[in-house]
Amino acid sequence: MTTPQLPNYLRANRKRLALSQDEVAFLLGAQSGTQACRHERFVRAPSLETALAYEVIFKRSVSELFGGLYQKVEREVAERAKMLIDRKDRKTNRQSARKREALTELAIT
Amino acid sequence: MLVDWGVKSIAKDKNTGSIAKVEAMIAHYQPDVMVVENTSIKPFRRFPRIRALSKRIIRLAESRGVTVISFSREQVRRAFFADGQGTKYALAEMIAKRFPDELSFRLPPKRRPWMTEDSQMAIFDAMALVLAFRLKRRERPIA
Repeated sequence: MTTPQLPNYLRANRKRLALSQDEVAFLLGAQSGTQACRHERFVRAPSLETALAYEVIFKRSVSELFGGLYQKVEREVAERAKMLIDRKDRKTNRQSARKREALTELAIT
Repeated sequence: MLVDWGVKSIAKDKNTGSIAKVEAMIAHYQPDVMVVENTSIKPFRRFPRIRALSKRIIRLAESRGVTVISFSREQVRRAFFADGQGTKYALAEMIAKRFPDELSFRLPPKRRPWMTEDSQMAIFDAMALVLAFRLKRRERPIA
């Protein structure tokens, strides 16, 4: 079983680089540190563009920076993959076998 | 991995303000364990206000379902130094080396007799408690 993670590790990474919230906000192209603060306090999730900007700033992958969120999304995708597998696809061609293989792999993550 | 670290300062009604900060941190991080300094060992080395604050923090944490572990200064020193004789600054240096990215630049210069203690030393005191707890836990035999 994987260890539950915090939704994100933005604060730890910002502090590691000795940056203030206002400085991070400036790098993100935001008006003030309020946005960065809300992300750090898990109040709001950033847009994809902002998440990628965090990856650039902190030199850590988005899935690492947003560990808890990634775990949640991963679980949800796995559940949906199981549902897709259960929708009995009786075809036995190579394409269906490949699809089943991909879905099974997703379902067990 | 360190998740958060720093020093918070309260201007007025320090204990009430401190409790509010601790409460917010517990709500935010939802820790399983809190490690605090044991301030109730005689002879008391802490002011009555700090001892009262410590008690309130412990009560608050326990009321939120957090397990509270306390260590005296001596227990912390013994966890790091075989003879228990290392200085506070030597311990802070060890911690800064253990977490170079996060803490090395927060280590203040060595304190001279005429200098007051740098507030940043509180981070190293807190880290020493956490690491002492982790060392102690590793010592415990697997049941």
